[in-house]
Order: sequence, then C-alpha cells, then structure tokens
Amino acid sequence: MKNRLFVAIAFVALMPIIAYAAAAQKPIIDGYLAAAKAENSAFSGFSAERGKAFFLAKHDTSADTPSCTTCHTADPTKAGQTRAGKDVAPMAVSKTPDRFTDAEKVEKWFTRNCQSVLGRACTAQEKGDFITFMASL
Amino acid sequence: MKKIVSLGASSILVLGLSLGLAGTGNTALPQVDPAYVKECGACHIPYPAQFLPKRSWERILGALDKHFGENATLSPKALAPIKSYLDSHAADTAAGNPRIMRDVGVNITPLRIVEMPFWIHIHAKQIERHAFDSPKVKNAGNCAACHRGAAKGQFGDDD
Repeated sequence: MKNRLFVAIAFVALMPIIAYAAAAQKPIIDGYLAAAKAENSAFSGFSAERGKAFFLAKHDTSADTPSCTTCHTADPTKAGQTRAGKDVAPMAVSKTPDRFTDAEKVEKWFTRNCQSVLGRACTAQEKGDFITFMASL
Repeated sequence: MKKIVSLGASSILVLGLSLGLAGTGNTALPQVDPAYVKECGACHIPYPAQFLPKRSWERILGALDKHFGENATLSPKALAPIKSYLDSHAADTAAGNPRIMRDVGVNITPLRIVEMPFWIHIHAKQIERHAFDSPKVKNAGNCAACHRGAAKGQFGDDD
C-alpha cells in the first residue's frame, strides 16, 4: 500500500517534466496534425512506431544518402556526423531539447533531407510521425 | 576572511583569463559573414571564400539542390547575404590572394577546394594520400580533421 502511494506520488511529481518535454514541440506537431488531416481524411494521429520505421528505412534514391541514419546514425540519442565530417547533435528531444521548436528550421531540413533521401517531399504524416518518435525517446 | 580574499582573487583571475581568451579569439577570426557560418557551416566548416574564384561560388550557389550528393537549398532571403559575402571575398577579388589563383585555367571552374592547384601543391606533394582515407578524416574536404583551427579560418601547418 505504502509502495503504491509512493509510486503515485512520484508519478504526479514527474508529470510536469513529462508534459514539458512534449510542450516545447507541441506547436510544430499541431501544425503537422492539421496538415495531415487535410492530406488524408482517414488520418487518426501520429505514431512513434511509424516514425521509427520511417527513420530506419533504407531507400535506393541516392547512393550518398540512402537513409536518415546515413548522417544521424541508427540511434537518435547519439550524435551523428555529416558526410563532410561535422558533428550533428542527437535528434532525440531528451538529448537536444530545442529540437523541433523552430518551425522554419524544421521545414528547411525536412525539405532538404526528404529530397536527398527519398527524392520527394515528405508528407505531413511522415513529418509528424518522425517528430513524435524523436520526442518519445 | 583569508579564504574569502583568496576566492575573490581566483574569481578575478578566471574572469581575466576568459576575457583574454575571448579577445584573442575575436582578433584571430577573419571577416566571415555570420549567415554563411550559420547556414553553410551547419554541414561542413565554413570554407573560406578566398579559396575558390567567384565563378566557382556562383556555380555552387546556383545548384544547391544538387550539392555534392545532397539537397542544400536555401530560401532566397537566407541566400542573399551568403551570395554577397562570397562574391566580395572570392579568391579573384580584392579580398583574395593572387597566389591562390595561380595555375587556375581561365576556362576552369573548380567546384572543390581540393581541385585548386594551390591546394594540390601544398597537400598532395607533402602528405601521403592514405592520410585522407583514414576513417577519422573521411575525405580531404574535412579540413578540420587535421587543421584544428579550420572553422576559424586558420590553416597553417600548426593549426
């Protein structure tokens, strides 16, 4: 009983921290949410699992950048490296808290990297899934 | 009391050191446009404008959607100050150095600094080729792997 109470107290105490981690990314996620609904009326919410699969997927569009993982590595909690040798801060929000908080920056990199890796623009659902995955780590 | 005095003295020393370092860093930095450092320096060291002729930078900026195997497009607003910086500081401008342009054919538009005769002269003849194939270097364009001050425009033998 005492244990259960302790767990409950700990959970309530941590809640603001958990909420805060997602709050900083919320405006951008909400923007993609509206766009995803407009793209597809059957859309039912973003998925970290789909985001993970999207991040790890290999494509045959470009020999230089076949996957997000080419530069970001398969572990988003670790720093990546550009092909030119410069470090890239981890994509996981828990490691780089200001990720996905600057809408202009987020769109710039999705525009570039979706073209580089997929050879096309990403859908709003793909972008939202991606950010949801990175915010879940 | 003695402890407080010594704490105060060390704080002043630390402050003095950090001010001194900041001062040195600032005077050592060449004139590089902050927009160029922010945008182009996100993926690679901000290669000095003075290492390629104006025509090279023009061609590079004109094809950012196919930038060495990646899409590196910029909005017109973000591109403008970068174009202006490169145009006014390229190797063949008043801000450049004629030695950098030596042996560059008038009909040649090098797209990589490692294709420039000055670079080849300095590196290829003095440094064994396999040094550039090391996983730590990745490629010869990763200047900072050997030149620790490259991001600040320092490329001397000891930098």
